[in-house]
Amino acid sequence: MSDQIREIRTPFHEFEVGFNIIIDLIAPGTRVLDLGCGSGTLLARLRDEKDVEGCGVELDQEKVIRCTERGIRVMTLDLDHGLEGFPDLSYEYVVLSRTLQQIINPELLVREMLRVGSKSIIAFPNFGRWQITLKYLFTGRTPVVRTFPRPWYNTPDIHRVTISDFRHFIHDIGGKIEKEIFIIKDKPGTNILWPNCRAEWGCFQISAQ
Amino acid sequence: MDEIGVVKTKFLQFDGLRLESGLYLSPITVAYETYGELNDRKDNVVLVLHALSGDAHAAGQDENGRAGWWDGMIGPGKGIDTNRYFVICSNCLGGCKGTTGPISVNPETGAPYGRSFPLITIGDMVNLQAMLVEKLGISKLHTVIGGSMGGMQALDWACRYSDKIKSAVVIAATARLSPQGIAFNWVGRNAIMSDPVAPFKNGALVDDNGKTGRGLAVARMIGHITYLSEETMEAKFGRKLTLRDMDGTTYSLEENDGLGGEFEIESYLQHKGSLFMERFDEDSYVIITKAIDHFDLVRQHGDLVSAFKNIAAKMLVISFTSDWLYPTSMSLAIVRALQASKKHVSFVEVDLPYGHDSFLVPQGMPNLTRIVRGFLKGV
Repeated sequence: MSDQIREIRTPFHEFEVGFNIIIDLIAPGTRVLDLGCGSGTLLARLRDEKDVEGCGVELDQEKVIRCTERGIRVMTLDLDHGLEGFPDLSYEYVVLSRTLQQIINPELLVREMLRVGSKSIIAFPNFGRWQITLKYLFTGRTPVVRTFPRPWYNTPDIHRVTISDFRHFIHDIGGKIEKEIFIIKDKPGTNILWPNCRAEWGCFQISAQ
Repeated sequence: MDEIGVVKTKFLQFDGLRLESGLYLSPITVAYETYGELNDRKDNVVLVLHALSGDAHAAGQDENGRAGWWDGMIGPGKGIDTNRYFVICSNCLGGCKGTTGPISVNPETGAPYGRSFPLITIGDMVNLQAMLVEKLGISKLHTVIGGSMGGMQALDWACRYSDKIKSAVVIAATARLSPQGIAFNWVGRNAIMSDPVAPFKNGALVDDNGKTGRGLAVARMIGHITYLSEETMEAKFGRKLTLRDMDGTTYSLEENDGLGGEFEIESYLQHKGSLFMERFDEDSYVIITKAIDHFDLVRQHGDLVSAFKNIAAKMLVISFTSDWLYPTSMSLAIVRALQASKKHVSFVEVDLPYGHDSFLVPQGMPNLTRIVRGFLKGV
């Protein structure tokens, strides 16, 4: 995958509401592992706002270097190879934000997250929104929308996952969904009617059962 | 201050050192250089550790105007900023650049040790560095940092003197050399052993019997092949010829003066080998490569997790994508063992095409500088 394609993950400033949700979920003074941490923006905020001891995992060299420059602990690792070497329950939280849809084998990684963290927080763009499904239905083509901004043949977003998909997936691998927060039009909400067809993003806190 | 300028190597004498083998080596001289100023709290010290062929002259210019081996990294405003840090670099035990080694005089015989110099370990080198640091009145180091053999030493420092360092940077190194690495070192030592004549230090190229003493040069050539990547060799030399391209192979090498190499890669290696003969001692080469081969934290401690159990320092491990002598997998073994015992470890795999030598080449310096500067600041 070229660097250029990796760059197009929803940038921080467009996902700030998502980051605020994640930061709210995390208890102060804990250890947090951020998978696909980018240049360490979330970890820097967690450090400054919540006194969190963070560690990031990132593959893109420029971003890894940015992390070290910001004093963020970071490792160059490929998430598609799982989390070998991370001890069981060594972090209070493992975060995977905006990256689930880009992982070759999400089951492997999410199982690893449940092993390594007491709690895992996963945020991903919802492909089940009615605007997307209607477009799919009427045009017969994979839609290009704000949350999936590239055509199917040239995108790191290799999975088109819905909120309903994700709930079933967590159930199937024996995980427990503790919290669900949805983003619609840049506003977070927990008690939302029909989130699968309405939410742009889903943010789940899960744990091993 | 913009530049370090001209530096002079300094020397300190020690009564002796108890080697890990049990032998007592006495007396001992250590050659070292320092850059920058020691602050009042004495907490801004960075100890730089050199690789196989390095020396105490890490930065600035020596009296002959020769730049230090890591001048791109150490200096005012550089990765290891001498406006901020007090930097020490010493020649390792067994070396031939001022610290006691095979060319030193054995007080019992009055002649140089030569091949009778005792076998030493990476741990012995580290213990001597610790003695130097102590003698300089420093109780705790901000950082130990080194590449290749220097990286092994940095790792050994973290295990051995966990209470004396705040952080360690381990670059292109390993907790144990691969059999492939040992094999290359063995061929190098074989070249030296097969050559009965030691190279001449005074510039003469042959002795009275016409022998060249090029064993050390051959060893160095083998080393250089392992330090470069295929990609770099292709880009830098390709199949280019240094000599006129004669018609096919209808000439003898002698006719074309091709004994010194026809391809550019040949004359490059030839040149590197010859330079090395003039500046290095073959017995030092044997002793130091032996220490590298024997370095094995797994054998020493049972496994890496046990080896690392006392580490308190913040660790930064750096590998290079094109390094096939000390590949990323070896750095990852270190990182995973550190993680397993929940140590504070960062790991950066740097994408550079220059092979094992990537930490020394100027083209790699910008990224390496950012990484090292950022890490040192966060210690």
